[in-house]
Amino acid sequence: MIETKSLTKYYGNLAAVVDLDLTIGPGDIFGFIGPNGAGKTTTMRILATLLEPTRGTASIDGLDVTKNGKQVRRVVGYMPDFMGVYDDLKVFEYLEFFAAAFGIERKKRESIVDGVLELTDLRSKRSANVDSLSRGMQQRLGVARVLIHDPKVLILDEPASGLDPRARIEIRELLRELKRMGKTIMISSHILSELEEICDHVGIIEHGRLVFSGTMEEIRPRLGLQNRVNVKVLNNQDKAVELLSAVPQIRQVQKVGDCIAVTFHDGQSGDGIIARTLVNGGIDIISLQPERLKLDDAFLQLTKGIVH
Amino acid sequence: MTTAVTNFFSKLVNPVWLTGPIFGKELRVSSRRRRNYVLRFAYLIFLTVFVVMVWLSMVKLEDQGSIAYRTSRMSVAGEAIIGTIILFQFLATQMIAIIMLSTSISDEIYHRTLGVLMTTPVNSFQIVMGKLLSKLLQLVLLLAISLPMLAVVRIFGGVPWNYVISSLCITLTAVIFAGSLSLYYSIGNRRAYVVILKTVFTLGFLYLFIPAMGQVLLHKVVSQRVLIPVLTLPNPFMALQFNTMMRVGARMAGIVSFFSWPLHCAVMLGASALILGVSVKVVRKVALRQAVGQLELGPKRKQRKKEKEQSAARTTEPEESAGPIRRVTGSPVLWKEIRAPIIEGAGGRNSIIGLVVSIIALLITYLACIKQNCLQQDYAHVSYVSLFLLIGSIVNIALSATSITTEKEARSWPILLATSIDDWQILLGKAGGVFRRCLPVWVFLAGHVVLFVSVGYIHPIAIVHLTMVVAWIIVFLCGSGLYFSARLRRTTSAVVANFALAVVLWLVVPVLFRLVSQIIHNDRALEVCISTNPFVQAAVIMQGAGGRHNAHTSLTDLRYYWLLEHRQVGRTTLILLINMVGYIFLGLFLAWRAKCRFRRNIF
Repeated sequence: MIETKSLTKYYGNLAAVVDLDLTIGPGDIFGFIGPNGAGKTTTMRILATLLEPTRGTASIDGLDVTKNGKQVRRVVGYMPDFMGVYDDLKVFEYLEFFAAAFGIERKKRESIVDGVLELTDLRSKRSANVDSLSRGMQQRLGVARVLIHDPKVLILDEPASGLDPRARIEIRELLRELKRMGKTIMISSHILSELEEICDHVGIIEHGRLVFSGTMEEIRPRLGLQNRVNVKVLNNQDKAVELLSAVPQIRQVQKVGDCIAVTFHDGQSGDGIIARTLVNGGIDIISLQPERLKLDDAFLQLTKGIVH
Repeated sequence: MTTAVTNFFSKLVNPVWLTGPIFGKELRVSSRRRRNYVLRFAYLIFLTVFVVMVWLSMVKLEDQGSIAYRTSRMSVAGEAIIGTIILFQFLATQMIAIIMLSTSISDEIYHRTLGVLMTTPVNSFQIVMGKLLSKLLQLVLLLAISLPMLAVVRIFGGVPWNYVISSLCITLTAVIFAGSLSLYYSIGNRRAYVVILKTVFTLGFLYLFIPAMGQVLLHKVVSQRVLIPVLTLPNPFMALQFNTMMRVGARMAGIVSFFSWPLHCAVMLGASALILGVSVKVVRKVALRQAVGQLELGPKRKQRKKEKEQSAARTTEPEESAGPIRRVTGSPVLWKEIRAPIIEGAGGRNSIIGLVVSIIALLITYLACIKQNCLQQDYAHVSYVSLFLLIGSIVNIALSATSITTEKEARSWPILLATSIDDWQILLGKAGGVFRRCLPVWVFLAGHVVLFVSVGYIHPIAIVHLTMVVAWIIVFLCGSGLYFSARLRRTTSAVVANFALAVVLWLVVPVLFRLVSQIIHNDRALEVCISTNPFVQAAVIMQGAGGRHNAHTSLTDLRYYWLLEHRQVGRTTLILLINMVGYIFLGLFLAWRAKCRFRRNIF
């Protein structure tokens, strides 16, 4: 659905995006991650036809973004990182304005606007002034706006930035709903863990170059994050270490204080294996605690250029 | 005790108590801004051009008279040059003060540094004084630039020092007053051009409208001996004129013997202190509001309205409290532009109140003119039409240049461009919006002309001629405004660029042509240049077709004076037609270039 080949953008001598190759399939949610100034927004602006690439190509739904700008804009809903709103417009008027801008017939507009207001849970704000909405509501209004012409592709530039935890969760739920509707979504963030739960694929960009692209399952070993479980036993800690070391799926067993840290091989996991092995060996278990993946720490390492 | 007294006096002597660190910071920032150097350069260029023009008009290059004759001419030229420099300084420094102080407080508010300043020992008095004095220092430098020239020319002209000093004092106090007003307006208005226009209109109201109305309405009630001094005292334009009259000769000095320039300066300083006092109070309120997280500008009434809207938006059922929803019809961009209030920032009710007040003010001036019996004369209509044209042009320049940059500043421009709407539709929508918002001013002009055509004070052909002039002004200024708005990022830059274009085309170029024509002794090129000026065109039209006498003259007998010769109606129409076609073509070309630039410099 979205494809870029050797996409490059220079601002003067500054390389914002360099030889970016991306492929996003239909119905995917693609998380585009990178630190500030990495080139995420520039890529998204090129895909939204607002910037021209210095070289390379980008296409959406088979349409070249530089040659078929108007057609591309019909299939894309773009939400910038900072959403500007028009003063003195009400929510309904704001959405109807964009419906008219996309050439939707007047008689169909009201039902379409009401539909997206329902979807984004903004129906009660139909007559409220746009500039009087809270930041979270404005973001939801932004999502409503990009849905107004029922685009196949949504490009959302940091939709959750500056929002409180509740508003972040609401946006996440909304994205899940859009995924169920079959939309292809490209969403950017500089926080990897934020996208972990909703994205099928992620691309990590730094200094304009794509340093990683793949599924969430693929990213963990790539970031050096194996599945690890911390085990506490009541007695015979040494025997427990011995038993677990013999399990073929387990790569490493280490004593850390009164805990045993068990690391599985890539792609392997299972609290059950540990429990079964220890119980069969006659060892009483106090607790089994899977270690939380430190995605953000690993991401920081990656974007420092330590992992390539 | 002694230490305390010493400390008190040392603090008093140290100017830091007046401005705090603001003064130094402002000077440092100013020295890094390229525009300040450009401003000084432009000031010097204009000053030089005006002096050269006066010199050339007074002393012919090929004059070969006796030494005594040439010396006498030098003396006359010296006097004229000093008069020119003083007048130039008087006008230019006031304008520069208004421009320099137009963002003085609003910059602090929008960079959110005003609230931060309030968390330091700096107080609002120091903020206001620091801003004002740092700009004044630069203006004093501009005044000082011309002092050596004044000193040299004074020797030729024999102009007394007290005239030079009194004129400089009148100028300086007028500058302080204009600057204080600009600073005050900058507290409540973010955009520099709005502050500049508000200040200029306020000064115009104070210096022109009030004295004129006072003279007309009160001259039978109050004695002239009382009325003129009262009207003169707070008016630097009249003060400078009286000061010059006192220098010219004993007879004129006798007429204006009541005038005292120190008193005038004291009144102006008092008025400035009053405005600054109010500014200090308002700045403190705004800064404290910002310090506690309320970032909006403007009066409390506006704040309360916004807060009310926000609290309504937070409730579950805001529909009852909100106004009616208006459906989008036709082109969405045009719909949105038309939906915007005629006067930005003013609601529908306030716009209507403004229009009603304007109509009443206009009717008062008509009544005043009827009393003076001058509506039958062509000059009255020249003045009215020129005034309407000036206001219409200013509004057109400002609104067209803001049409796209305001969207860029609000960051709604990329969202609009990301829709499938055609660029031509955006352009036409924006142009339509500008025309609609300027319409009230042009309706005033149309109303004036139609009214006085119907009562037989203006010849009907003036309607055709003025329509041609107004048509090209609208298209040209709208095209250039859209171009600058599409090209530049900041609203103020776009408005200044559009104003500069008009000033260069209709003021600077004619001045240069005049200079050249005086050197080469050929006025033909000057005539062609001046005939492209809309205000000259309007004046020629109204001189030829305005007034009772011209209104009852047959079409073929009407005569229009175009600088060098009188021309008949056919030739005049042809000149206006050629101008109209040329400017409309140029305006459409600029609009097309604006469209081409829509998708460049978006961010």
